[in-house]
Formats: sequence, C-alpha cells, structure tokens
Amino acid sequence: MQELLGRIARLDPSASLGLRVIACFDELVVGRVNTRALLAAAASLAGCPAGFHQDRPARQVRVDPRGRVLPAAPGTPGRDSPLAHPDGATAFEPAPGLCVWLERDGEPLANDAIILERLALAVRIRQGLGHRDLDHRRELGLLVDADVGEEERCVAATAIGLDPHRRYRVAAAPLFAVWGTHPSGPEDVVATRHGPLHALVVPEEFGHLDASPAGLGVATDVAHLNHSFRTAVVALQLADPPTTPSVRADDYGGLVGLLADAAPDAHQPDADLLEDVAGHPWGRATLEAVLRSSSVRQAARTAGVHHSTMQSRVDSITETLGWDPFDGFGRTRLGTAYLVWRLRHSRVLDLPAPT
Amino acid sequence: MTGVLRPEFDAELKAGLAVVGGMFPPTITPDLIPFMRTSYASQPIDELLEQRGIERQDVVVPGHLGDPIEVSVLRSRTAVGPRPGVLYAHSGGLMFGDRFSGLDLVLDWVDQLGVVMVTVEYRLAPEHPDPYPREDMYAALTWTADHADELGLRADRLLVAGASAGGGLAAGLALAARDRGGPPLCGQVLDYPMLDDRGTTPSTGQFDGVGVWDRISNETGWDALLGDARGGSDVSPYAAPARASDLTGLPPAFVDVGAAEIFRDEAIAYADALWRAGGDAELHVWSGAFHACDIFAPHTVVGQSMIAARDAWVAKVLGD
Repeated sequence: MQELLGRIARLDPSASLGLRVIACFDELVVGRVNTRALLAAAASLAGCPAGFHQDRPARQVRVDPRGRVLPAAPGTPGRDSPLAHPDGATAFEPAPGLCVWLERDGEPLANDAIILERLALAVRIRQGLGHRDLDHRRELGLLVDADVGEEERCVAATAIGLDPHRRYRVAAAPLFAVWGTHPSGPEDVVATRHGPLHALVVPEEFGHLDASPAGLGVATDVAHLNHSFRTAVVALQLADPPTTPSVRADDYGGLVGLLADAAPDAHQPDADLLEDVAGHPWGRATLEAVLRSSSVRQAARTAGVHHSTMQSRVDSITETLGWDPFDGFGRTRLGTAYLVWRLRHSRVLDLPAPT
Repeated sequence: MTGVLRPEFDAELKAGLAVVGGMFPPTITPDLIPFMRTSYASQPIDELLEQRGIERQDVVVPGHLGDPIEVSVLRSRTAVGPRPGVLYAHSGGLMFGDRFSGLDLVLDWVDQLGVVMVTVEYRLAPEHPDPYPREDMYAALTWTADHADELGLRADRLLVAGASAGGGLAAGLALAARDRGGPPLCGQVLDYPMLDDRGTTPSTGQFDGVGVWDRISNETGWDALLGDARGGSDVSPYAAPARASDLTGLPPAFVDVGAAEIFRDEAIAYADALWRAGGDAELHVWSGAFHACDIFAPHTVVGQSMIAARDAWVAKVLGD
C-alpha cells in the first residue's frame, strides 16, 4: 500500500496521507484483526518489514510488505538489535515489555512516525493492554457519537483537553479535503455512514473554515458536540466546490439540525416531487432563485430571466408539487425539500476529478 | 441505498479500502476516465524486473486491422529451452491501465515457473470500442503462436490470462480461438472477470458506492466498449462471454472472484455454464473480498490466499 500512498500523493500533493493511515488502522482495530495482520498492514503501508516483540511470554513476529511472516531476528529489535534505526525513530514501546518497529534501511520516511504510532496503539489494544472496555474507538470518536452516553462523552471531552465551561464546534471534511490553513484543535478520523471523515474541534468563535470541501457544525456545549458533528456533516454535504467550498451549519439555523437528526431513509414526499422539477434544465437555478426571493418578480430578477418566464416556471413547479411555493408554508416546505434533495444528490464526498 | 443486504468486507481488506479509495474511487463515471488513466497508470517496472532476474523485450506487433500495437515479452534470465507461454490481458475496466498494471502478481509465473509472458498493450475504449481491445489481444495471440520458436516458448503449452476487464478479454479470446480454429490453448485464467454487459445479476446491485468497481463503474466500462448496444440483443459473446450459448470445447478455466463484489454472480454463472457444457473449471469465491483486492492489498490473508490458489493452478497446468 506504500505504492498506493505514493500514487495518492502524486495525484494530490496536499492529500493528508496520515489521515488515511489512521483510517486504515481504525478499521483494523474495529475488525479485531490479529497481530500478524496489524504488522502486515504497517509493513505494506511503510514498504519495509514491521516487527513486534513482547517480553512475557517471549514472542516476536516480523512481517514483510507482502504480508509474509519472516524468521525471528536475534535480540529485541528497537532496543538492542541493529534492525531498527539507532535513534529510535522507527521503534515504539506502547507498553512496558512491548515493542513494535519498522525495519527501514536508511532515514525514516515521512509517514513512518504515524504508521508506527497507530501500529503501537493497535497492537496494544490487540494484546489486551488498551481500553478496558470493548469499545476501541478513541476519545473524539466517542465525543461525537450519539449512541455513547453523556457521561462518557464528557469524560472523552476532558481527555482531549476541552473545557467543560466553553462552547465548541465540530468541523467535518473528507480525507481528501484540501486545507488552506489548518486550525489547531483535537482532530481524528471518525467512522460515519458516509465512510471515514476527518473531524476537528474548534472554539465557538472560530471564523472561516478554510478547507474544501468542509462543513462547520453549530456551537454547543461539550455534552452536545455529537449534535454539532452531525450538523457539520450535513453542512459538508451542502458544500459545492469550487463555488461553495465550505458551509457553516449556522447559515441554515435550526433546519440543519432537523436534517441532521432525520433518519437516512425518512419518508420525504416533497423532496421526491422535486426530482421532477430538478430534471428541467432551469430547475435548480429557479429553485435557488425562488428560495431567495419573496415574489415571482424578485425571483425573476435574481435568476436574470423575464418575469413571464419565471411565472411559467413557478406555475410548472406549483403544478408538479401540488402547492404554491410562495403561499403560506409553501416556501418552508420548498426550502426543506430542496435541502433534502441537495443531500440526496450530494457528490461532495466522492473523490474529485483532477483539475 | 439503505436496506441493501450485502456481505461484509473482510476486516483487513476494509482497512485497505481506506487507502485504495484515494486512487480508485468506488463509483467511476465517464468524467473520471482521465483521472483513472493517471491514477491507475502502472509505475516504472524495470527495477522490479531486474531484482527478479526477468528480462523484458518490447516488440511492436500487428494488432486489429494490422495496426501496430506494443507487447512486452518477459522471461527469466535463467530459463532455458522452450518454455510455457502466457498471453496476459491487464485490468482497468477496458478504459485505463496499461500492460504492466497489476503485473507484479503474475511475475511469479515468470521467475518461478519459467513462463514466457507476453503482455499486450491492447487499445482502450471509448476511443477504441469493441472489437478493438479483444481483437488486439487476438492478433497478439496469433503473433505469439506464430513466433513461438523465436520467442522460445512451447506452442502446445500456451495459456491466456487476464484480470477484471482483462479476464473478460481472456474469456472472449478463448471463445474466438475455438470458433476460428486459432492457436490451441491449454488454459484460461479469469480473475474476477468482467463478463456480462447486462448488469442484471443480484451482486451487481449490492455494492453501489462501496468497494472497488460498482454498478455505475461497470456501466461506464461497458458503455465505453459497446456504446448504445450495451444490454441490448446485439452484443457479441466474444465481447460479453456471459452471453455465449455454447461453452463446449473450451480450455480448462480457473475462475476466482470476491464474494463482496459485483462480478460474483457472473463469475459463478460462467464456471457453472462451463461445467454444464462438460468443461473443466476451478472456481474460487473468496469471502469478504472486494474486486481485485489481491492487486490492491496483497499483504492480507485473503489476498495471499487468492494469489496462492491461482499460482497453484497455473503451476499444475503449465509447470514442467
């Protein structure tokens, strides 16, 4: 997989390979694979053999990048063997009596440190020295998971250094997102039903999210950052690079919260009807104009079309939907349906084509 | 897409997808073809060949309609005498990849079995739709058989092999060679082959947006090859071997496929059809395997098992 990482880096020099390494080990830990498999992944990612040693009972495993188990080496590499780099950069002791290493000829490469760190964490958990409970996810993953109890989420918040008396937002981005300025704050890869996402916690007053694509969640206290994360994911899906590289959930107020908490397969008949409207060449632009206007005349100006053209489009929309988008709750229904339609058709989490 | 039941990916392979997804997205639409041509282009291979004691000879041979195409002939430096031959069709959805894509997996046949491997730069769709890719392969097959002596290979021990789109081409080649009285083949290796343009199997609908090569990607590939004819009544069985009604008289087949990929059902059906026609087929369906996982994640237990089972079959058929 080192070769694959190299390809990704060549395709997009700004791609965060470290996050892919993290996501890879996350899946291995969740999948409860054995030590050999953990070492095989590390060796494959690094392109050189990876090893593991424990003192009691004495056991050593070495695996090459093709996943083949190598004969045991003398001594304890990383401590008193020439296999590992002498400055210790390619060896790691995740627990007393436990050691993992990469057998790199020459200087360590850029991803060696993150590979070794994640290998160490995963081996530690596999050897029963990690989390006591069965849930192996790390703190940020717990913090943003609604299925985790509030007390445990607050413990996780404290563990990653959040102040229980302050409010924060969670930002969400796919692993391939391009970051202009990368805010500092607790961050990790979190498993979602959309695949692994990059989650990052910033203070409430955080300004512009300079990443593409990305979404910034609503501000909450630490006990409700799971909600902030869900709104961030919705905001992310509403991003539309290059015109709208990142979206703030705040821009949609409480609506984004409702969307964030809707079941993925929720019955949305209004959005179903919008499929027909969106099928028109003028569909999406007209819907945007109608939603940003209070009258047909204003919508015509916004869309840059003649009033009669807009009137006939609005008539067509009214006929398709069965209600007038300018009447009563019509605009609210249209706005909600439009956002649901946007989420259904969002391609922002697909890998972008090269520019 | 909620509510679709599908087999889980193997845990090691699922972890691999976290990396694979960065260069091979699950869903490939026509606008991604240029991206895939960059991302799936093979890396320089000469250093690897050197390490393994394999020499490479590039030759321009007549392709479809006599147009020049390039092939590479790979042989072990230590191999002597007439050797078994393999004609190889690379992967890449008929639209991308080159004759060295995924080739490292079959180099064991060259340096351990002493095979002379001819890997073909067949022309790609959509610029070169059906029959160009397969007829380029067929022309390379006849060239290989005609030049067996000078290539140092045994014409009586020639096998066709291919992965994914190349597996479909290899199956089509075997059909065409049978029907045209072409060079006799001693086997066909069909790795997770792309056989059916109709896209109607249950497995085709099970993996939308996940893994490698989903339903949309497959439609993109078949559209590139067949255009408007895709799924219609006028598709040649040489292009889509799943449509062949007569599978008698074909060489022994090795078929492998993942349980967690869209080609599962068509690969199983093809092996089954070969058996029903009195033929010889060995079928492996790998639990938890996504499409071409042995190419992307050869370090995993599933990847290693796939490679070992295939190598054992090839050694049985081709070995001295």
